[in-house]
Amino acid sequence: MSDLERQRREIAAALQRPGVSPDPNLRLTRRMFFHKSCLFGAATVGQTFAWWPLINTIDVAYAAEESFKFAWISDTHLYPRSVNTRFVEKVVRAAKDVQSMSPPADFLIFGGDIAQLGKPEELELGVELLKEVKIKKVFIPGEHDWYLDMGKKWGQLFGQPNWTFDHKGVRFIGLDTVSRGPDYWTARKMSPEERMDHMAVLDGSVAGPWAGVGRDQLDWMEKILAGWDPSRPIVIFSHNPLYEYYPPWNFWVRDWREVQAVLKPFSNVTNIHGHVHQVLYNEIGNMRSIGMLATSWPWPYAPEGVPKLTKPMIRVDPGDIYDGVGWEKLTMNRDKIETEYVMWGRKEVFVQSAEDSSLSTPEVLRPRIADQLGPYEGSKP
Amino acid sequence: MTRDGTLASLLGALTTAVAVSAILFVVGPASAHKTPVSREQLKSYEDAFMDAVKKGDLLFHGDAATAKTMGVNLSNSGMACAMCHPHAADTHPHTYPKFQAQIGKFSTLRDMVNWCIEKPMQGEQIEADSEAMRDLEAYIYWSNTGSVLTPGKY
Repeated sequence: MSDLERQRREIAAALQRPGVSPDPNLRLTRRMFFHKSCLFGAATVGQTFAWWPLINTIDVAYAAEESFKFAWISDTHLYPRSVNTRFVEKVVRAAKDVQSMSPPADFLIFGGDIAQLGKPEELELGVELLKEVKIKKVFIPGEHDWYLDMGKKWGQLFGQPNWTFDHKGVRFIGLDTVSRGPDYWTARKMSPEERMDHMAVLDGSVAGPWAGVGRDQLDWMEKILAGWDPSRPIVIFSHNPLYEYYPPWNFWVRDWREVQAVLKPFSNVTNIHGHVHQVLYNEIGNMRSIGMLATSWPWPYAPEGVPKLTKPMIRVDPGDIYDGVGWEKLTMNRDKIETEYVMWGRKEVFVQSAEDSSLSTPEVLRPRIADQLGPYEGSKP
Repeated sequence: MTRDGTLASLLGALTTAVAVSAILFVVGPASAHKTPVSREQLKSYEDAFMDAVKKGDLLFHGDAATAKTMGVNLSNSGMACAMCHPHAADTHPHTYPKFQAQIGKFSTLRDMVNWCIEKPMQGEQIEADSEAMRDLEAYIYWSNTGSVLTPGKY
């Protein structure tokens, strides 16, 4: 084992105690990483990147009954056709891709944000485009689907936002991580459209820490997991990641520690999530988390907090509407889940060198100034 | 040097000195930054900057009213700058000027802003020296206040 590998393992072990938030002093910052890269030289960078693919393959100790595939599409952010046809084209392409999988996927999970501004016509457009996919489809909501009418139309189209089913020895759970936002609209007398507009801005400061699972849903999780053998596989679908990555963009759920507590007895938990529009991988306690691409547009990596276990996706070309976006094929083998990112127009999804990654240009950012409301907000830049 | 030449250069120097004194006398030392800056001046300078930052923030986040007031049409696709660049992330103003691969030439931040307006956002380019461009630039730089200059970096 090389020195660098040993250090990485030590740091990972120190950081990944279940339910413990890493002490900021322990964090291996990008600056430290690149500093080390400079010290050890390019060969070490090569080694490091070579080491990463190993952890993108997930070993599940207690097997599923048989191997099978399922597909993920999310974050289509559909506007009406009259506003944006590019987003529509990409959903059409993803739906065709999924339908033409051979052998076919057992089911499609749609991971939220089907609409951009929660409008009935946007949600219905999503339903229409996904009719191309004939296999079983399950849906969880995103914040863009919800805050115009507080989930009314979404519920009519897709039913209960949280659910569970067992499939070939795996317990699948769909979570609603979006509907329990704090009320930022009543006191400010916002119209439904204004409420939605604030929610629709990822870096807005008004909607606050809206992402959460909620005590009631945690209790529900405990109930549905009560009889499940702790070593058998559990796969949880959620719009937001179930750990703390970057709260200013709600790349988390605010009660992720409680989620960890509920999942503590179980040794094979995989969380598959949308919202981040990027390749992401992390392990917290007994849970692995895998971030999925959007079909609409990619988000940049956050300026800090990118999990060290993530092998970053390649820096994309903003001139190509099919770059940096796509959908995923997930294979549940007897003993592992494999993720295949289908990023259209790219053979190499992952960075091949530091320069391929936007993370090689560090940045320090500050929150917005122009959307801060109220007498105590925004008085100082 | 002849005697006439010396006289001419002396006269020239004298004329310059008179002209400079005249400017100082007429315009006053404040404009020449010869007195300590006052709190009021500082505040007005900062306000001028923060006004631009706030307008830039609104334009960057697709605020229709601000775009209308300023007479610009940055997007026809429902996209706004902030949809790919939350908190102006990944705009990397601190790496400009540099060779910009998309544009295929040595470029400024303003060049890239216009490229984004035209390509992903399908809007109408704005004048490089326009108020809207200055405001967008002010917001992007302000957002990246802590980023370290690395001009030319890919």
